[in-house]
Amino acid sequence: MIPFDFEYYKATSIPEAIYLFQNLFLQGRNPLYYGGGTEIITLARTNRIYTEAVIDIKGIPECNVFAHHDHKLLVGSAVTLTRVSEERLFPLLSRTCSEAADQTARNKITVGGNICGRIIFREAVLSFLLADSDILIAGPSGINKKPIHEIFKQRMRLQRGEFVVQVHTDTDYTKLPFIAVKKRRIGSVGYPVVTIAAMKKEQLVRVAFSGVCAFPFRSHQIETILNDRLTPLETRIERAVRHLPAPLLSNTDASAEYRAFVLKNTLLDVLTALEEV
Amino acid sequence: MRQFLAIGTSVPRQEASEKVTGIAKYTNDINTTGLLHVKMVTSSCAHGTIVSIDTSKARKAPGVRAVLTGRDFPILTGSPLADRPPIAIDKVRYHGEPVAVVVADQEYQAMNAAKLVDVAYHPLPVVNSPTEAIRSQAPLVHENLASYKRFEAVYPVPGTNIANHVKIRKGDMQKGWAESDVAIEASFSIPQSDHAAMETRCATAEIKPNGRVEIYSASQSPYVIRDMLSLFFSIDPSQIVVHTPLVGGAFGGKAPVQLEFIAYLASKAVGGRKVKLVNSREEDFITSPVHIGLDAKVKLGATKQGKIVAAEITYLFDGGAYSDRAAIITRAAAQDCTGPYRIDNVHCDSFCMYTNHPYATSFRGFGHPELTFVIERAMDILAARLNLDPLTLRRQIAIGPGDTTPTQTVLTTSNVGNLAQCIDKLKEIIRWNDEPQVVVEGHKVRTKGVSCFWKNSSTPTDAGAGAVLLLNRDGSARLVCGAVEIGQGTKTVLSQIVAERMKMNVDQIYVEMEVNTDTCPEHWKTVASRSTLLVGRAALAAADDAIRQLRHIASVVLGCSADHLEIGFGRVYQKDNPQIGVQISEIAHGYRLPNGNTIGSQVIGRGSYTMRDLTSLDPETGKGNPGPEWGVGAQAVEVEFDTKDLTYRVVRASAVIDAGKVMNPKAARGQMTGGMSMGLSFASREAFLYNKAGIIQNPRFRTYKDHRYGDHPEYLVDFVETPHLEAPYGLRGIGEHGVIGMPAALANSLSLATGIAMNRLPLTPEAIWREKKENTGDSFRF
Repeated sequence: MIPFDFEYYKATSIPEAIYLFQNLFLQGRNPLYYGGGTEIITLARTNRIYTEAVIDIKGIPECNVFAHHDHKLLVGSAVTLTRVSEERLFPLLSRTCSEAADQTARNKITVGGNICGRIIFREAVLSFLLADSDILIAGPSGINKKPIHEIFKQRMRLQRGEFVVQVHTDTDYTKLPFIAVKKRRIGSVGYPVVTIAAMKKEQLVRVAFSGVCAFPFRSHQIETILNDRLTPLETRIERAVRHLPAPLLSNTDASAEYRAFVLKNTLLDVLTALEEV
Repeated sequence: MRQFLAIGTSVPRQEASEKVTGIAKYTNDINTTGLLHVKMVTSSCAHGTIVSIDTSKARKAPGVRAVLTGRDFPILTGSPLADRPPIAIDKVRYHGEPVAVVVADQEYQAMNAAKLVDVAYHPLPVVNSPTEAIRSQAPLVHENLASYKRFEAVYPVPGTNIANHVKIRKGDMQKGWAESDVAIEASFSIPQSDHAAMETRCATAEIKPNGRVEIYSASQSPYVIRDMLSLFFSIDPSQIVVHTPLVGGAFGGKAPVQLEFIAYLASKAVGGRKVKLVNSREEDFITSPVHIGLDAKVKLGATKQGKIVAAEITYLFDGGAYSDRAAIITRAAAQDCTGPYRIDNVHCDSFCMYTNHPYATSFRGFGHPELTFVIERAMDILAARLNLDPLTLRRQIAIGPGDTTPTQTVLTTSNVGNLAQCIDKLKEIIRWNDEPQVVVEGHKVRTKGVSCFWKNSSTPTDAGAGAVLLLNRDGSARLVCGAVEIGQGTKTVLSQIVAERMKMNVDQIYVEMEVNTDTCPEHWKTVASRSTLLVGRAALAAADDAIRQLRHIASVVLGCSADHLEIGFGRVYQKDNPQIGVQISEIAHGYRLPNGNTIGSQVIGRGSYTMRDLTSLDPETGKGNPGPEWGVGAQAVEVEFDTKDLTYRVVRASAVIDAGKVMNPKAARGQMTGGMSMGLSFASREAFLYNKAGIIQNPRFRTYKDHRYGDHPEYLVDFVETPHLEAPYGLRGIGEHGVIGMPAALANSLSLATGIAMNRLPLTPEAIWREKKENTGDSFRF
């Protein structure tokens, strides 16, 4: 049970959502944009989040777009992970989204919610990091498009009152060879010990990670090391792991030491497979 | 005429349609006008003195009716040892322990007020495992152990963390070791985990103006709730009624009494108004009692031929902060410590250790999955040492009639199942002789691991049950009894037992689902796979009583001796001339004469049954007869192990169990596969993870792993039937049995696949990686 009362607003346009947020914020209601709601419910019932008003953005048409348009793939922030998994417009994205949470949760979790959430894994972002996607953000200052690498640094760097409307990806990227592997502690549902999403563009491998550190990331330094094909693969991997952007995560799913083992082996499998393509 | 009409057929469960349509009502579905809500404040500290509890802000919060602390009702509860205050007093002993209780008009108000209770702790050194607990310098979890009241045989050692010490001394160990050609020794460890029933625990309490106490509870033990409330709060037992509707999974976790005490105190604090206390999932994980943990050591001595001549076993059970049923589990494991094997010289010390973990209680199998993990891993180690086929070794020393158990009970063809037959059948279904035990294909290794088991209960010598069979006018009948429907299907089997005896159609026997301790004849508790024996015997007696009455009325109607009459197919008829008879519907409420008077009146059969010939165990040697029969079985697990990334997949899990008599084939298969899934789940992944301060890191399903829908292997289940002569139609309990051998079989399979002794649960890939690293120094490809 959520032990506090909050109001529910459903916006049907971007300006309405922005207006509602500003208004509620000024009333001191600590409003939150609401996508699938899974994280809000989870954190609210254990008193780790407090709000007096949520603004549902699922009624905004732009947030529900999921289609190729003008050489871009547009993914609306309110599109559910289930829909992304089933309509395979970007097979790498479909694959990583189909492994997040469980089926019942994926029916609710949205792409925007997954990317912007507090839960540290945010696996939907990996494909967009690899594809140098752009993020369409709505906020009090209007609608802006920003490169993902500018706005996503460990987590989404949104200003107060902003929300993600869409993610734009060049269609070319959705057709590249890819591989995505999720390793869990055990079983077919759960947080990652290591998730690696990788694609190959013009003979170079791009790699993004979740579960390895306390945030998802893509590192150009690591990619440079891994693409140095004059060096033996295992040496490259050893080197890459020494250049992680933060310490290896240690939690109930895996110790840092074991994570290193899984990370290296998974990288070996991923790179072996992609180098053969 | 067929011998069996109802027995041996897959009758659907009586409550199935209610459950699958979602209309079945459970305890938390009770919402009456004026109901108040209780929320617990639980300890954030695993071991510490309570410096202060400030309830002033909570008392002023909206809707709050009362805030209670342990000091308000300073009593100690628990059985066999009264060591536990329902709400902590002065000291907390585990993370999640109740320290205060809020009663409010609405649930959310109680939740909000609970946040406002300010508790200050002074942390004490933490006892974080049973092995730490037994060290001489270990901090004491209970300082006043000697002063605790005892209600059953229990042997705590004051000045230590030992809540119970059970000894088995059988034969002559010196002689045994002298006869041994080989000896093996190994240590094992099983962490605490949870029952993870779908329905979290829930209780309501109300104290009526006349003093009558009414409890609703999701419980396996409604009569025990009544008796414990009576005992600890000095209430006349006739003033207490406990209701138990359908229970949404229990697995032993709903056998103890905990929330009921707190709900009773909460109701008392608000003038007896009806209150409800329901666990959140987090509370159900750690505040309420958990699945026991174990550290164990085994030493076996054997001859070259594979005769085990000495067994020395030490169990250190992780009973957690309070002893509760863990003290009895400690005894249950000791009494069957050898597994189902003929061993003449046995020395076992079984300790229930206090730690600063959540307290433990019964879990499906009651100590047997744990003891079986230990002895069956040891059997595989021994088989390897002797270079014997693991099933051949087990079969040649399989215990049977004429042998004695560790408690020196002499086995008969009735009180033990046929293990050799189970092993033979298992060999067939898993193609043991047709395929190698280990198959390597590239980096995948397929292995089969096996385990046998036996299971008896630790039943009080006077455990019993009663049943009443009320005949309806139309000739159908209603059975009223005290067995709780926890998803195990006992009530349906009871309807089959009665239908069979009365040669009636099984759908004419309705079994009341709710238990009401006022109106249902008493039943010990719904545990230990004993309901079909205890209540089954009572139901048979009730059916016989009803038959006697029906024959009596019919004899008057038909003008013949009752001895000449037979019952069946809705009629009472003459044995030698079945044409002459009367419909049961014509006599069920007395035979109506043309003038409106009746011969006889409503037929009400009554029956009861109490365990026979059980004895308590001798405190020095363990000699005694602990339970009515040993069920046996043989199980196997086939895994596919990946030598590259150390992950594995359970391909197939198999079991052959001696069911005595398979009463309901589909229900029996369901019980077995459900148990096997549970065993694989806790063996492969379930564990509470503690930090150094004893704080549980994973009290929710996001981080507490258990078996999910997609994780199931293929299940092969078969039965043999060796009747237990004391039980209805020869049946043996099977409710717990599927779980018992699974952890050992999985560990044996993985030990073969990895080449490393996997003696610690849970068997995660990380655990395999760690063992490999520790044992071989092999950091693998990297």
